[in-house]
This record gives sequence, C-alpha cells and structure tokens, in this order.
Amino acid sequence: MDEKKAARLQKLETEAAALMGKIRAEDDIEKKKQLIAKRERIQSQANSIKNNRRISREAKRDLVAYSFIAPNFIGFAVFTLIPILFAFVLAFMNWDGSNAPSFAGLSNFARLPQDTFFVAALKNTLIYVVGTVPLTMIASLALAIVLNQKIRAKGFFRTVAFFPYVASLVAITAVWSMIFHPSKGPVNYLLLTVFGVDQKNLPQWFSGGLVLLTLILFSVWKYMGYYMVIYLAGLQGISGELYEAGSLDGANTWQKFLYITWPQLRSTTFFVVVMLTINCFKVYDIAVMLAGGGDGKLSTSATVLVYYIYQNAFNYWDLGYSSAIAMVLFLMVLVITLIQFRYEKKISE
Amino acid sequence: MNQTAKSKKFRSKKRAAILGKVGIYAILLLITACMIVPFLWMLSASIKSDREVFQMNPFVWIPEIPKWDNYIKIWTKIPLLKFVENTVFLTIVVTFLQLLTSSFAAYSFAKLEFKHKNALFLAYIATIAMPWQVYMVPQFIMMRQMGLNDKLLAMICLQAFSAFGVFLMKQFYEGIPGELCEAARIDGMSEYKIYAKIMLPLSKPALSTLTIFTFVSTWNDYLGPLIYLKSESKKTIQLGLKMFIGQYSSEYGLIMAGSVLSLIPVIIVFLCLQKYFVEGVASTGLKG
Amino acid sequence: MRRKMVSVLLTGAMLATVLAGCGSKPQDSGNADAGTDTPAPADTTQADTPDDAGDDADAGAESAGGEAVTLKWAIWDKDTTPYWNALKEAYEASHDGVTIEMTDLGSADYQTVLATELSGSGSDFDVVTIKDVPGYATLVSKNTLEPLDTYIADAGIDLSQYGGVDKQVTVDGSLYELPFRNDFWVIFYNKDIFDAAGVDYPTNDMTFEEYDALARQVADPTFGSQVYGTHYHTWRSAVQLFGVLDGQHSILDGEYDFFKPYYEMVLSQEDDTICRNYADLSAEGLHYSAAFSGGDVAMLNMGSWYISTLISSLQSGEYDSSLCGNWGIVKYPHAEGVEPGSTLGTITGLAVTSVSENKDAAFDFVAWVSGAEGAKVMAETGNFPALMNDEVSGIIAGLEGFPSDEASKEALSVSNLYLEVPYAENVSAINDILDTYHKSIMNREVSIDEGIASMNEEVGKIMAQ
Repeated sequence: MDEKKAARLQKLETEAAALMGKIRAEDDIEKKKQLIAKRERIQSQANSIKNNRRISREAKRDLVAYSFIAPNFIGFAVFTLIPILFAFVLAFMNWDGSNAPSFAGLSNFARLPQDTFFVAALKNTLIYVVGTVPLTMIASLALAIVLNQKIRAKGFFRTVAFFPYVASLVAITAVWSMIFHPSKGPVNYLLLTVFGVDQKNLPQWFSGGLVLLTLILFSVWKYMGYYMVIYLAGLQGISGELYEAGSLDGANTWQKFLYITWPQLRSTTFFVVVMLTINCFKVYDIAVMLAGGGDGKLSTSATVLVYYIYQNAFNYWDLGYSSAIAMVLFLMVLVITLIQFRYEKKISE
Repeated sequence: MNQTAKSKKFRSKKRAAILGKVGIYAILLLITACMIVPFLWMLSASIKSDREVFQMNPFVWIPEIPKWDNYIKIWTKIPLLKFVENTVFLTIVVTFLQLLTSSFAAYSFAKLEFKHKNALFLAYIATIAMPWQVYMVPQFIMMRQMGLNDKLLAMICLQAFSAFGVFLMKQFYEGIPGELCEAARIDGMSEYKIYAKIMLPLSKPALSTLTIFTFVSTWNDYLGPLIYLKSESKKTIQLGLKMFIGQYSSEYGLIMAGSVLSLIPVIIVFLCLQKYFVEGVASTGLKG
Repeated sequence: MRRKMVSVLLTGAMLATVLAGCGSKPQDSGNADAGTDTPAPADTTQADTPDDAGDDADAGAESAGGEAVTLKWAIWDKDTTPYWNALKEAYEASHDGVTIEMTDLGSADYQTVLATELSGSGSDFDVVTIKDVPGYATLVSKNTLEPLDTYIADAGIDLSQYGGVDKQVTVDGSLYELPFRNDFWVIFYNKDIFDAAGVDYPTNDMTFEEYDALARQVADPTFGSQVYGTHYHTWRSAVQLFGVLDGQHSILDGEYDFFKPYYEMVLSQEDDTICRNYADLSAEGLHYSAAFSGGDVAMLNMGSWYISTLISSLQSGEYDSSLCGNWGIVKYPHAEGVEPGSTLGTITGLAVTSVSENKDAAFDFVAWVSGAEGAKVMAETGNFPALMNDEVSGIIAGLEGFPSDEASKEALSVSNLYLEVPYAENVSAINDILDTYHKSIMNREVSIDEGIASMNEEVGKIMAQ
C-alpha cells in the first residue's frame, strides 16, 4: 500500500517538475496560465497524498458545488441536452421511429426548398415574427411608461394588463373565436351596424389573408402584459436625477424619452427583443387554436413551422425530415440572436 | 406685467399637466377595456344559454335568467375533476421541483468556485435560446424508450429542470453581497446551511417570480401534454377543454363555464404573489 | 479544454442513447420480416381444422387456449361506444380461457397515439383496431402489423364476403387487417322541415341536379328564421367525394378536375345561404350533430354511424325530439346516368401486431369479430358490420327508433361501395394535401381552379417520389 503511494507521489512530483520547465519555456501568457493551473492541481494532489488525506480541499470544494448542481443538472442533461444533440444527428438520418434508421446525408435539407408546405410555413412564421416583435415591444413599452407615472390604481391597471398572459390559451382563444366570429361575432356586428360595412365584405378573421393579422393581434394582446412587467422593472432602475437634470435643461416629455429613457432601457430592450423573437418563432398553439377550425389542421395561409414539424413527426413519421425543419427553426433563432448580440455590443462600446 | 406673464405660463403649464393626466387615464382605460372585455364576455357567456350568447340586439351582460347550472353540468359532461386533479398534481410537483433544484444549482453557480463552472453554465445558457420545439421529437423518442409515454412523470421530467429557472435564480443570488456568505463560512457554517438559512429566506421575490412563471406555463401548457399524455385519465385541463370544445362545439355556455373554471387557479396564484412580482423581475436581472 | 471535455462526454451519452434506441429495432423488423416470408410454425395447429369461419373460430380458440390467454386490444371511446364491450363479452362467453383486455386510447388522435404506442419496443398490444386507411398505411410501413394472408388461408375465410372492400386495403398482395365495421354515407333528412315547407321528401333515386334543386326549394334564407336546405360538414369527404361515385375516379388519381362541379354546386349553395358558410363552421368548429339536431337543417350527408347516435341521443333526451325527432334517410345522390346506390364507405378493421406473443389466439379473435357472429353483435348495437347481408340490415331496420318508412329501409342496401380513402403508400400525405386545399377553396382563399391545380401539382410531387 505504502509503496504504491510512494510511487504515485514520485510520479506526480516528476510531472510537476516537468511542467515547471514547460511553464518557463512557454511565451504565450494564456497557455502559461493553463499550465500553471495544471501544475497546481498536480501539486495539490501530491500534497493530499503526503498529508494522508483521501481527497484534497479543492476536490472537496468541487464535490460540494457539484452536489448543489447535480439534482438540476442531471435532469437537465438527460431531458434537454441529450435530446438536443440527438436532434442534430436525426436531421441527417432517415427514420420512421420503428424500422432501422439509415444515414441520409443532406437529403432532408435538399427536400426543403421544393416543399410547398415548408415554404408556406416558413413565410408565415417570418411574417408573424416581423409583425409581432415590434408591435409587442412598442405596446409594452408604452404601457410600462404610462404605468410608471404617478397615477391612481396603478396596481389594478398593472394586474389587468397581466391577465391575458396568465389566462390559459385554450380558454382565451375560445373567447376570441367567438368575439371575432365571421358572421355572428360582436366585432363584425359592430362593423356591420356602426361602421356600415357591407355584409359581403365583413372580414373573415380566421382564414385567408387576415388570419396572420389576427394571430399577430392576439399575440400582442396576450403577451404585452408580460413584457410590460420587464420594462417596468427596467424603468424603475433609471435614476430620477437624470429626469430632473433633463427638466432643468428644458427638455420636453418626448425629448426626455428620446434622450434619457430609451438609451437607459437599451439592455432591457435587447432582452425583450431576444425573448420575443425566440417565443414568436415557437408559435404553434395560437395558430392551431385560432385558425385550425374543428380538426386543428392548418391550411397554407396559416401553417407555421412548428405545426409542420409536428405533422412530419407524428403524422408521417418522417422523423429525419421533421428534425431538419427544426434545424432551420433553430438556425433562424440563432442568427437573429447573434445579430442582436453584435448590435448590442457595438452600441455599448 | 412680468408677474402676470409668469403666472399665465404657470397656469398653462398646469393646464397641460391636467390635460396630460386626463389623456393618460383615457389611454389606460381604453387599454384596460381591451384587456378585460374578453374576460367579461367569457363570464357573461358562461351563464347564458346557447341562443343568448350571440344575441346582439339588445346585448345584455347578465341574462334575465342566468344559467348557473352550466357550472354544474360541465363537471358531468367531461371528467373535469380528473383533469383538474392531474393538472394540479403536475403543476404543484413541477413548480416545487423547479424552485428547489433551480435555487440549489443557482446558489452553486453564483457563490461557489469549482471546476468547469463556466462550461456548465454555458450549457444552460445555450439552451435558453433553443426553442423546445426543435428537440421535442427526439426527446419524445427518448422518453418513449424509457417507458415514459403516456405517464404524468414524463411531463414532470420535461418541465421540472429548465435552464430558465437556474438562470433567473443565479442572477438574483449574484445581487446578494458575497460577504454574507463569507461571514457565515468563517463562523463554520456548511454550504448547505448557508443556502438554507441565509440565501433561501432572502430570495422570496425571485422565488415568487419563478413560481408565477412556472405555475402559469405548466398549468397552461398545451403542446407538451398533447404529445405525451394520451389516455383520457391522464389528460390535463387544457387538453380536456380542447377536447370538450371539439365535441360540444355549439354549447357556448358550457365551454365558457369550463374556461372560467380553468382560469381560477392561475389567477389566484398570480394575485397572491404579484406584490413581489415586479420587484422579483427587477432583481433577477430579467430586465436585461 | 474544459469545454471540449464536456462535449466529449455529452456526445458519448448521446451515442449511447441512439444506439440503445436502434438496438431494439433490428429485432422488431426481423420479427415482421419473418412474418412476411415464412408462416409462423404455430399456424399448423389451426390448419388442422379447415371448417368454415365460424366453427374454426371455436377450434382455434381451443388449440390456442390450452392455457389461459389474455389478449390486449386497443380501442377508443369505451364509454360512449357500446359495441366494444358487447364484442368482448360475447367472445369471452364462447371461448373459455380467453380474456380480452381493452385499452382506451381516445378517439381524437387515435391513429397517432396507436402509431406511437407501436413504435419501437415496449408495446404489448395483441390486437389493434384500425380506424382509418391513412393510419393503416402508416402502421404497415412501420412493420408493426402482422400480414394475415397465411392465417386467412389456413382458416379458410372467404374474402369475397366483404364485397371487394378487402382489395382496397391490400398492400403488395398482403392483407394486414380484417374489416369488422363498414359505414357508408347516406342523406339524413328532417321530415318536419319538408312538411312545413310543403316540399316532397328526398328519394332513393336522385341525381345531383335534383338534389341541388330540392335543397334550394326547402331552404328559407329569411334572416332570423333561417332554414338550411342542406349541410356539409367541414371534412373534405363531404364535398370532394361526390366526385368518385361514378366509379371512374378515385382520390388516388393525382388529377382532381372531377371535383370541380361539386365545389361549384356547394359554393353557390353557400352564396345563396342554402347551406351554412364553411368559414363560420370552421371558426366555431361546429359539429355536424349539433347542426342537424338544431332543427334548422333539412338534409345532411353523413356516414351511417350517425344513425345509432341519432337513435340513442333522441331516446336519452339529449336531442330535442321536437327539433329533429322526425327523421329519415335516403341513398346518396348520383351523377346523371349512373345507377343509384353507389356510395362512400369507411371501414374499421382489426389487425394483429407483429410483436404479439399470442398471434394465433389474436387472429382467432379478429376472425370472429369480423365474421358472422361479430356481425350479429354489431348489428344488434345499431352498427353496420363489414359483413352486410339481408339479415343484418333487417336487424338494424328493426331497431326501435329507426324510421319506419320504406325508403329509409331501402336506403340501407348499397350497390357500389367506394372507400373514402383506399390504400396507397403515401395515402397519409395525399390525404393531408387534399384536406389543405379543400380548406383553402372552401375558405375562398383561392378559386376552385387554383385549388384543384395545387392539388394536382402537390399530389403529383408525392407520386413522383
């Protein structure tokens, strides 16, 4: 036993000495740092053997830290990380979930541009994102600014604005499809009686060219309360002195917004836009529930990427192809997030 | 002369301020109306008969004979109680696990030094930008292989370990001064004790925020249960409601009664926790 | 460095899962292949008793049932569909030692759920119910069903008793399911509405022109007291499939110009408020039963499954009998110069899974349910068995609540039955394409010609693959 220990100690020490030589010879500071860290680790291992401790202090510290992370990380790794990697692999395979999978190369991706339904889904998703992100941002910012003023019943207004976010989608889409019902709904009834729109020209909110507009309006309505809270938190971080200084300089409300509020909220806006973009690309349930009709199927005017991913996976069992579409979704989110990161960095420099 | 000009200016400024206030209230009321009218419509329709729901001329909010029995009938038309049970069980377990494991892991990331810390945290951050829909299919295949298809446990595994929770809690803990922990360490407190006795009690706003987010998203989730929960006895209230709408499409009163019932728990949770909410969002760095 | 290590670890973990996922596959597909190529050895026991289907069923059960056998059977809507339990009880009563265990997968996404259940390992179903042909095609292509040819030959089952329906679901010469229920489309009509309007009832021999004229005659577009002459549910079958009744066309053609006259007829009825607007129906997801039982729809084209729903819902008081209690049925309208009685059918079948450990016992159950005895049970619960004959239609027409007029009874006899969706390899995808453009046409997003052109183009792409 002791002999073994001695041999191991010997080995560690020679290793440490060799590293010392390397460190002296190394010019690159980064690499030098790495080597030093490595040597320290070896040294501490050697020390712990010398002092007859089973594990070093560092190892113990690491273990405690890992024990904190483990419960979450194990679940996270098994149920999120592995499937993500699996998804990347799957995009290059042909698999129906039962028979043996085969390697497909890029053929799944090659199919995409010719697929009418994919192209329609992509187009609709992009329109939806481009429509929803700015509108929600503006609406929630405006609401946050108004609610940040000294007004009565602030809490009440804030709660009400947050209601749609909390409400379940199934319930609230059921209400929307009644309110916007093409021939019986109150909205079209108002258009017919008050605004004198001809019965033949009443808008068909859930089909054709209007359906995406309805989806966008619905999302703005539902999610603006959520982003308003984030903006509200951002606004509360702006020091009042800035506004006082602005008043002294004779700035009007609009100028104060332009030169104080907006720049101060830049990082909040960045966060809001990134989250909004990610969430908008995920759109599925809103489309199915508002435009799906009785059978939940979407026609080319309302189909979205996630719907098509679902269709290919669970109806056609073309798992590779569905994963390839998912990759397109991911790439778009990634590119947009990176562009925003770049932009944010550039401005803050 | 000078004096009157000044007071005139002052008065006009005051008038402008009042006008501004009025304008703000007008806008607020308009927005509030947009936000709340669908909910009022829902409540009103839930006590109407099917023919009254779309009656516009004259439109009444409360019908002459309110049909309260819609709220009783809905329980017998579909196994609503079972759906509620499933959803309550899922939501509570997921929220509890999420709070516990996230705050646990976040403490480590925020206050401890250890090997591979950055790499591990990067793994979390990278997946926040990854829509779940990208990997839902492989995840499903894996879960099925593990025998978790059509089990409530699958939904728990799916939702209880989100990267978002860890991120949110870590941001919050980083705002707590490190000296607090250092002092406790010198007193000989173990890390577990520091977490339980010092950090946890301080993190009420962040925990409330995370509770609202988790509770709302689990309670209202649709696509997840749609993929995983197939037999009727496992379904959640969202799936059940959707199923009911499919079968009894023209029973508007009942549909709305079911919808109202499905909203009550989330709204209660939200109202109880909302006083911490903005504070929580502000202190968890969610504002960016 | 650190990052690298984490990624190596993760890749390893992932590979392990992928391998684990695939590891179980070759076994499954091997099983299925064995089924196609060589008959399972156990079959010989059944071949010893080449009697007619009914007797053989008993014998088969005995040979399989030396010990107690439990068969797991996938079904939907156990509580609202009376025949599942009736079939189970009748079979168990006549077959000692066999227990049938039913698992309810719900009707909404039944085929999706079933395909999921049967994918990979871990399923323990012996017998599965097949709800529609696209779902059947999926299961067959996933090698999850057992080919039944050798079993059928050994049991001496005469497939001609199914009136040719079996040929429409034969895959590369093999049959993977036996039909036990066969619904066909008829016209339901509300006699009270016709009486009130003073219009003659529809008949068993109507051309489409006559049908259209009748719908227009009986309709009352006055706002407030609207009566719709006819009603089309949002399914594409309700409109498109008028076109296949002449026997010249099928939905697998790849050329859909023959839909055109029927779209024109329905859309112009919509324009004149003869029927409800598709966009409205779709927005509220109106169920056809809600439409017909509301008492403002004179005619409804729908499958024969609605007969038993109507009877039982009227008896239980769920439907107001003053609104729709006085109903009748007639045969589907037909194109000029075609013999009446051609209609659309939908079959429901039973199949044996390739992973079942009791394939013989499972097949015996399948054969019994789709045979004469099963047919009797089906008819007694008001449903149409695949094995239709005069006795069976007599049972249905004699049910309490079935309309008493002669025309309704006569409407039960079918001369030609075309499946809504016959089998083809890509039938799932074709079905979805036709659905999608049906939606677009009916929502008036595109003109009829554009919609049909898109159908031709997209289905063409699929067929070219």
